Amino acid sequence: MLHRDLLIQAVKAIRTQPLRAALIILAMSIGVASVNVLTALGDSARRYVVHEFESLGTHLVIVLPGRNETTGGHPPLFGETPRDLTLDDAAALFRSRQVAAIAPVSIGSAPVSVAGLERETNIMGSTHSLLRVRHLTMAQGVFLPEAEADKELPVCVIGKKIADELFARRKAVGEWLRINDRRFRVVGVLAKEGQSIGTGFDELVIVPVASAQALFDSHSLFRILIEAHSEAAMHKAVDEVRAIIKLRHEGEDDVTIITQDSVVNTFDKILTALTLTVAGIAAVSLAVAGVLVMNVMLVSVSQRTAEIGLLKALGATRGQLLRWFLCEAALLSLAGALCGSLLGRIGIEALQWWFPNFPVALPAWAMLAALAVALATGLVFGVMPARRAAALEPVAALNRR
Amino acid sequence: MVWQDLFRLALGSITSHKQRSLLTALGLIIGIAAVVILTSIGRGVHGFVLGEFTQFGTHLLAVYPGKTTTFGLSGATISTVRPLTAADAESLQSVESVLAAMPLVQGNARIEACGKQRRSNVFGVGPALPQVWRIGVDIGRFLPEEGADNARPFAVLGSKVRQELFGEASPLGQRIRIGSDRFRVVGVMRSKGQMLGFDLDDTVFIPSARAMEMFDRQGLMEIDVLYRGDASAERVEQAVKQRLLARHGAEDFTIVTQNQMLEKMDSVLSVLTLAVAALGGISLLVGSVGILTIMTIAVSERVAEIGLLRAIGAERGTVFRLFLAEAVLLSLAGGSGGVGLGVGVVKLVAVLLPALPVQLAWNYIGLAFAVSLAIGAAAGVAPAVKAARLKPLDALRAE
Repeated sequence: MLHRDLLIQAVKAIRTQPLRAALIILAMSIGVASVNVLTALGDSARRYVVHEFESLGTHLVIVLPGRNETTGGHPPLFGETPRDLTLDDAAALFRSRQVAAIAPVSIGSAPVSVAGLERETNIMGSTHSLLRVRHLTMAQGVFLPEAEADKELPVCVIGKKIADELFARRKAVGEWLRINDRRFRVVGVLAKEGQSIGTGFDELVIVPVASAQALFDSHSLFRILIEAHSEAAMHKAVDEVRAIIKLRHEGEDDVTIITQDSVVNTFDKILTALTLTVAGIAAVSLAVAGVLVMNVMLVSVSQRTAEIGLLKALGATRGQLLRWFLCEAALLSLAGALCGSLLGRIGIEALQWWFPNFPVALPAWAMLAALAVALATGLVFGVMPARRAAALEPVAALNRR
Repeated sequence: MVWQDLFRLALGSITSHKQRSLLTALGLIIGIAAVVILTSIGRGVHGFVLGEFTQFGTHLLAVYPGKTTTFGLSGATISTVRPLTAADAESLQSVESVLAAMPLVQGNARIEACGKQRRSNVFGVGPALPQVWRIGVDIGRFLPEEGADNARPFAVLGSKVRQELFGEASPLGQRIRIGSDRFRVVGVMRSKGQMLGFDLDDTVFIPSARAMEMFDRQGLMEIDVLYRGDASAERVEQAVKQRLLARHGAEDFTIVTQNQMLEKMDSVLSVLTLAVAALGGISLLVGSVGILTIMTIAVSERVAEIGLLRAIGAERGTVFRLFLAEAVLLSLAGGSGGVGLGVGVVKLVAVLLPALPVQLAWNYIGLAFAVSLAIGAAAGVAPAVKAARLKPLDALRAE
């Protein structure tokens, strides 16, 4: 039998039972569509988070005060240490050649007021380098001036939300605002960033780090953010930073150093595992669809015993019959897989329409994998019915009627 | 037809196609088992997380410095111009229904003893910690009751710190160095394990005043308030708020009650369980398409039988019920098989992987079973109607 004949025969056999075929295709397409949609959701979430982290800056190294002995536990993200990181520590890190920019960060909370309007918000003390290290963009005005880190200057940069709340319909740049009992002149407004990982820059007031330390009456830094020259330099920078801090802290290694790529990798791994799990759960429905294909093909073999007997009597070989029934199963699952992909596409478009801010896209490999798995399921579950058909004795089969 | 006969006939036609019925039920079995297993994991995680939170007791509220409107970590925990002081904590002791108010400062320092050293969490706390956080003292005693101003340099070790520094030797009465200060060990806490990432066993507890001195801090990071079990949470919250308002003159603090936290957590986790149940439901849906398909085939196969039944006087309703009963029986078998398989797997997982929290979610299991019955009934209706509509003469002639 030629391939074309095989195909035509199989299509004809399917078309004699349109309702039955439609139901199998429906079952298969539900499975494929759910795998598609769920993988797309998971993968998009992964890319979204990774992108968020990367927008923190490339080649970023973060130095935190304090260290826990037990490896595997999370680093002391906040909390105090007897020996703080200071501005001098930050300045000393410039001795490393791998370092392109250093932004010391101190953080605290204080009431901010303008002409009777007051709200409590987070205050961040830093230097001009923060603009570069955190890839911030300005909506109006300029960022903190380039000056020595230990210089107190009465200027500040405010987030978009703070600007809207305290200077509604007024230009904020050039105005004075009061943080606790000190006055600061607004020199710039940050562009709307949304919720970036960790800190909401929209609700933040940034002042020179020395001013923040005076405000909170403390000389410690919350973090030191370092931008390395390149990715290769980043790993060298980690060792050099550790060595410099150790030298300054009387031989004690009492800081935690996090590189940005290690954080990104961790999240990437977690979210990939999550996506695969969800896709795997959805794929169980493909197995159920496969069982259905097998069931229906078995029924059709038993119904078409006479036909098979006739074919065999006319000289059809076992192999030909096997291929014929397998071809039918494969065609059914292929149709189901294609319908399912289409359905998944529609589902993803609908999600996209509902949540325009969250980009949902299906990676090509996932779509192909779903198609392949569906096809394989159909074939695997088609084998048993096909073998049964091929094994029928021609005389017995013809005799049945 | 009496229902016993109906049942027997339906059962007969199911068992006459053993393989086909088995495969149909298998589709449902996989679907239901998926729902049962997934919701058990969801419920298990739910219970685990809530357990983590309530191990400190439920009659707790926490006061943080700073009034923030944003969710997340407030900068005020690091530093603020309006700190919470030890005197605030002391004053809260006397609020009505309050059993204890415990100041908290958290940090990280090097601990040295017997020539060994390690870096650990350091918690500056009040003497009420064992009561407020429900951690027992293993040996020795906890920090003594004394004024915040003259707290003596005593330290209590977490079980892991003790193990690392002293091994089997008794640490009681020994001197240790934390940061650059010297402390005397007065007790060791019972092992408590991880609490949301914080290893409480890898921790040293010292008086909060000493910790503030060591870390050069003006204010506390948090005050944990334990109140009487019979007092209403809202009343206590109000009273604490009034007291602090009177002391500070402005609302420059944030109060978080355990109930608020638990409610939020609870609703988030319930959504999680619901979501995995929905995921498992997809295969249930596919399984139901299987029942629909097989019943449709059954009707078209058995046209002659239906004709005969009608010819010997069976009414339309009877034929309808006969086919419906078959569908329901099939899905009943699939449903119970699925519940059995799911429960079995969950029990097996509980034995083999004790680290994975699983808990049978009986309401979801009941729901899945009910859904399987409903699916059977729904999938059976269309074919049953088709069977009932057949004209007896045509049906008999079909063969």
